[in-house]
Amino acid sequence: MTKKFNDLNYYELFKIPYNASSFEVRQAYKNILAIYEESSLATYALFAEDERKTILSKIEKAFSTLIDDEKRTAYDKRLVDVGEIPKDLLTAQERQKTIPLFQANTAVTKHNNLARIRKKIKEKGKGKLASALLNRDFISGQDLKNLRESLGIELEEVFEATKISPTALEAIERDDITNLPPKIYLKSFLKSYAEVLQLDAKQLVDGYVKNVEKR
Amino acid sequence: MGRIYSIGGGKGGSGKSFIAASLGILLAKQGKSVVLVDLDLGASNLHTLLGQRIPQRGLDAFIDKTTKSLEDVALSTTIPNLHLISSTKCSLEIANLFYAQKLKVINAIKNLPFNYVILDLGPGINFNTLDFFLIATEGLFVATPEPTAIENTFIFIKSIYLRKLKLALKEANMWHICQEEVAKLSKGAVKSPLDLINILVEKNLENGTAFRDLLSGLKFSLILNKFRGQVAEDLGEQLVEVCNRHLYPGFDFLGNISYDSRVYESIIARNIFIQKYPYTKTVSDLQNMARRLAGAIQQPIQIKASK
Ligand SMILES: Nc1ncnc2c1ncn2[C@@H]1O[C@H](COP(=O)(O)OP(=O)(O)OP(=O)(O)O)[C@@H](O)[C@H]1O
Ligand SMILES: [Mg+2]
Repeated sequence: MTKKFNDLNYYELFKIPYNASSFEVRQAYKNILAIYEESSLATYALFAEDERKTILSKIEKAFSTLIDDEKRTAYDKRLVDVGEIPKDLLTAQERQKTIPLFQANTAVTKHNNLARIRKKIKEKGKGKLASALLNRDFISGQDLKNLRESLGIELEEVFEATKISPTALEAIERDDITNLPPKIYLKSFLKSYAEVLQLDAKQLVDGYVKNVEKR
Repeated sequence: MGRIYSIGGGKGGSGKSFIAASLGILLAKQGKSVVLVDLDLGASNLHTLLGQRIPQRGLDAFIDKTTKSLEDVALSTTIPNLHLISSTKCSLEIANLFYAQKLKVINAIKNLPFNYVILDLGPGINFNTLDFFLIATEGLFVATPEPTAIENTFIFIKSIYLRKLKLALKEANMWHICQEEVAKLSKGAVKSPLDLINILVEKNLENGTAFRDLLSGLKFSLILNKFRGQVAEDLGEQLVEVCNRHLYPGFDFLGNISYDSRVYESIIARNIFIQKYPYTKTVSDLQNMARRLAGAIQQPIQIKASK
C-alpha cells in the first residue's frame, strides 16, 4: 500500500537511491528543505505548526544520518534487518562516494579535472555540434551522450566534475525515464552537466525536460 | 468521444477562463474540433474572453428542454473549429441545479462529439463545481504564485478527491462504514484522501484497494498563472511534489504562464489576447501547454508501491 509520509525511510524521504553519493544527499537536502521550510510557498497553510516541526526535524535527522558514513552504514543495516531493503541491494550497488574524501575535497583535483575537460573541449571545438544540439526543440540523452563522446570526455570525468552519481548520469544519457531522478533534482543535475560541457544551461534543461515530457 | 479537460482551482480570478479560452483557440488552430463549455453558472463570462457579445442560446435551452441535444447549442465562434456552449442565459437559480438536471448535463457533456471538450469552472468548492470538474478525463488546476491562491488550491484539490471517493463509497453502499472512522479523524475533517484510503485498507475492507485504484486513475495537472520573475522557478514542481506526497499521487506540473498586463487591457477592449499579442512570453507559454496537451498520450497514473 502507499506508504504514509511518516513511514518513509530516509532514502524515500529524500527520493534518492540507496547508493546515492554524498553530493546527491546534499542536493536532495537542499531541495526538500526549500519545500518544507516555514517560509515556503509550496506548503503554505498545508501543515499545522507542530506538523511542520515534526517534518523538519525528520529531515534534519535524515540528513545528519545520510551524510555521516558511519551513521549511514548503521542505518542501512537497520533497514536491511527490518526487511525494508534486501541485503543484496546494498552489496550489489556500492555506495557511490567514489573518490576518497581527501581527494574529493581538494580543490586542486577538481580543478585539474575541469581543466582537462576544458582543454578537450578547446581542442576538439564543440562549436557546430553543440549549437545544433541546443537549437533543437527536444534534446535527448542520446544527443548529450553523442556530444560528450565526440569531445572525448568520459562519463567518469563528468561525474568527478559534478559529483552526480554515474547511475543518475547514465539514466540521463539513456533517457531512462523510470530511473531518472525526480524533476527538481533532474534540473539541477542537468545544469551541472551543462556547465561542465560549457553549454547554455537553460536551453539544455528546457530541451531535455520537454523531450522527457513529450512521451 | 474526445478528451475532456476541466479547468478549476478554487480561487476566484486566478485566470481559469482566460486559460480555457486561450487553450481552446490554440487547439482549434491545430485543426482539431474544440468546444468550450462555460460551467460557471450564474457568472459566466467565457464569451467575453472570445471577444463576443452575449450569445443568444446556451446551456439554458438544453436544461429547460427547448432543445434536445446539447450539441445544438454549441455555437460557432469567430475562430474556425472553435465552438462555445455558453451559460449566460442561465438564471441565478439555475446555479443550484437539481440533481437529475445535473446528471443530464454531465452525461450530455461526456457525449459531445468534439476532439476536445474544455470545461471552464467557477470559483469555490460547491458540489456542482466539484462534480463538473470530475467529468474530465484530465483535470487542470490553475493557481497563482500567491499564498492565498495556493492555500485555496490545496483545499480545492482535497475536496475533489474526497468528493470522488465519497461518491464511489456511496455507490458501493459503504459510506456509512467509514463515515464513523472519518468522524474520528480530526473531528470529522478528513485531512487528506490518503488518510481515508489508508483507513479503508487498514480496516481490511474488501474494496480498499479498489478505491485506491479508482483514485489513482484520475489524472491531474497543475498550472501556475500570472507568473512573474521574482517567483522561484521551480515552485510549480515543488507544489506537485507536495500534492503527490501529502494529498495523493498522480500529479503533473504543466507549466508556468507569464503575467502580462496587456491581458487585462485586451479583455476590456474585447480583443483576443493571443491573437493581438502572439509574440509575447505569455502566448508562447500557452502554446507550449497546448502542444503538450495535444501530444500527451493519456496514461492512467501508476502508483509505484513503496514496498
Ligand atoms: N497571465 C495573465 N497575466 C495577466 N493578467 C491575467 C493573466 N491571466 C488572467 N489575468 C487577469 O486576471 C483576471 C481574472 O481572469 P479570469 O477571469 O480568467 O479568472 P477566473 O479564474 O476565470 O475567475 P473566476 O473565478 O471569477 O471565474 C482577468 O482580469 C485577467 O485579465
Ligand atoms: Mg472564470
